[in-house]
Amino acid sequence: MLVLTEWSLCAEQRVRLQSVTVCSLPPQAKHSEQHEGHHYSIPLEEVKAALPHGLPHRFQQQIKTFNEACIMVRKPALELLTYLKNSNFAHPVVRYVIYGERGTGKTMTLCHVVHFCVRQGWLVLHIPDAHLWVKNCKELLQSSYNKERLDQPLQASFWLRNFRTTNESFLKEIKTQQKYVWSKRDSTEQGRPLGEVVEQGLTRVKNASDAVGVVLKEIRQQCCLGSFKVLVAVDGVNALWGRTTLKKEDKSPVSPEELTLVHNLRKMMMNNWNGGAVVTTLSQTGSLFKPSSAHLPHELLGKEGFDALDPFVPILVPNYTEREFESCYQYYLHCRWLQHDRARTEDGKEELRFLSGCNPWQLERLAAPL
Amino acid sequence: MAAAAAGWAVSGSGRWPALARCCWRAEMVAYFSAPAASNREAKQREDSSRRRGRTSQLIRSHIPPRTERMAVDQDWSSVYPTAAAFNPSSVPLPIRMGYPVKGGVPPAKEGNLELIKIPNFLHLTPPAIKKHCAALRDFCTEWPSALDSDEKCEQHFPIEIETVDYVSAGTSIRNPKARIVTLRVKLSNLNLDDHAKKKLIKLVGARYCKDTDVLTIIIDRCPLRRQNYDYGIHLLTVLYHESWKTEAWESEKTEEDMEEYIWENSSSQRNALATLLQIKATENVSNVTKEELLASEVVRNYRNSVIALKNEGETASNMSQYKESVKKLLNIQALP
Repeated sequence: MLVLTEWSLCAEQRVRLQSVTVCSLPPQAKHSEQHEGHHYSIPLEEVKAALPHGLPHRFQQQIKTFNEACIMVRKPALELLTYLKNSNFAHPVVRYVIYGERGTGKTMTLCHVVHFCVRQGWLVLHIPDAHLWVKNCKELLQSSYNKERLDQPLQASFWLRNFRTTNESFLKEIKTQQKYVWSKRDSTEQGRPLGEVVEQGLTRVKNASDAVGVVLKEIRQQCCLGSFKVLVAVDGVNALWGRTTLKKEDKSPVSPEELTLVHNLRKMMMNNWNGGAVVTTLSQTGSLFKPSSAHLPHELLGKEGFDALDPFVPILVPNYTEREFESCYQYYLHCRWLQHDRARTEDGKEELRFLSGCNPWQLERLAAPL
Repeated sequence: MAAAAAGWAVSGSGRWPALARCCWRAEMVAYFSAPAASNREAKQREDSSRRRGRTSQLIRSHIPPRTERMAVDQDWSSVYPTAAAFNPSSVPLPIRMGYPVKGGVPPAKEGNLELIKIPNFLHLTPPAIKKHCAALRDFCTEWPSALDSDEKCEQHFPIEIETVDYVSAGTSIRNPKARIVTLRVKLSNLNLDDHAKKKLIKLVGARYCKDTDVLTIIIDRCPLRRQNYDYGIHLLTVLYHESWKTEAWESEKTEEDMEEYIWENSSSQRNALATLLQIKATENVSNVTKEELLASEVVRNYRNSVIALKNEGETASNMSQYKESVKKLLNIQALP
């Protein structure tokens, strides 16, 4: 089923091409500039497998409503895919930072890239929102591995569960390279599949954060050998170098380094390993102590974060272009999402364009009650 | 009324009440007759003026204001020779001031307290100031003919001293504000090297303006102007000499103290070199030294873009320049 959806139309032509077909995956590898502006749909089983926790909340509601998951192919994503396809896996990992104003589609770009890598058979470490790890944590345990650090069992086990859903096949193949002792009775021998470590983390929630650390370390050590490729996708990477709202029992503030999860993730973000890529997003929504107008790398990452990620490739995600706006509008019309009579007219379209300012988030919110 | 009272007293027995009442009424009539008569006269005058076409005026202020008799080319400095309160009948301008009534306009100038309260400069119009200058010219000396442009003034006299003299009508000619001395100098006119300039700027703090490169020192700590001037010159000398000295503890200057970003020995340089060395190691090119890497084109490019990004902030052009330089550094191809 390799049929192309033609949502994108020129404004001059009033004729709508009603060929309703969606790109399925094999052509995704061949997505190029001529596909820019088109939507492509992902089968729902793949959505559950590849992106269990990565999609924005409103997009998940849209999937439920339309019963299909359609992502628009946009230039930043195409650019990233080209870089990933051409990357040399013997060189140290290249870090890509997706940045842009609020609601322009950074998380969607990240999800597009994640889906591409899953389909290509990469191992995907997708952290949906790093901000969730630095705020609103109900349980903070002192880490058994290192007295200075603090564990977060709930967040770690939640992530491990989703990680297992995405990468079932790899968990059987990768073997541990050393023995890990969890407690007096539990230990994982050398040579056991990584799935056992994940199970250990899920059953003994107290050890979940250390299990996450072990998983990251093993993957980092073994992907240098070249048997599999790793994509580390972090949304809201500026949380790793910011401040937290967590407090210890004596009410002193916790800095991000003191959290085991953040400490281990920072080690993944370094470029001292090879055999994969690191794609990250900067996010102001959900960030702590940052003004709502901040969207540039220096403002959100701070000096520490910028120096840690330097040199990275910044990728700007702008608002919709003319063509992309047309495409999104036609898609909403096609799905009969825009029910209002005036929404179908040219005037209505211009009104939507003006009110949303071609911002994808605004457009989606405006179209919802129509 | 006394006569009436006396009349009452006389006829207190009530024998002549009618006569007394008649007297009293006559008194009252006599008392009020004069205004009644003049009212009639005023009405006659009003009618006559109305007949003649002039605006109706009350009998009390029927003189028109002076503004109506002022010529357009009169000498204004004789109307307001000194600072004086606003007088609506002396200023021939149709000014309105104040908060407007709802649906109306601000009140007019007649009887407007707002206009009287505020200070005005009606005594300082350009012709008046010209006259002041002409009067003061007798007390001035000639301006040196060689200093005919601002650049020459700055070149020969880089330090500008500003003092203010105050004159007021009062019992005393002293004014405590007259002792304040302002000293202005451009740092480009001082002989400072890089370290000295940075140290001087750190020492003076907010007194230096980066946009105009002017150091402004306001001195008012002594009671006399001459003392303040001497202190200002002394302060400038001390600043100049101190900024040329290098103390032992200045070597502990950290990255946070730096005024601008220096790429050498920064984490950015370390990261870039480490990455490049790793890349070269994978390609089995092992005889590349650090100096060669630092001198290569891609690293120079990268260095310039990082310095621009950190010093000038993030703009669209800076970010795209940085992106291109990183792509070249890490050898990322964009074409499929």
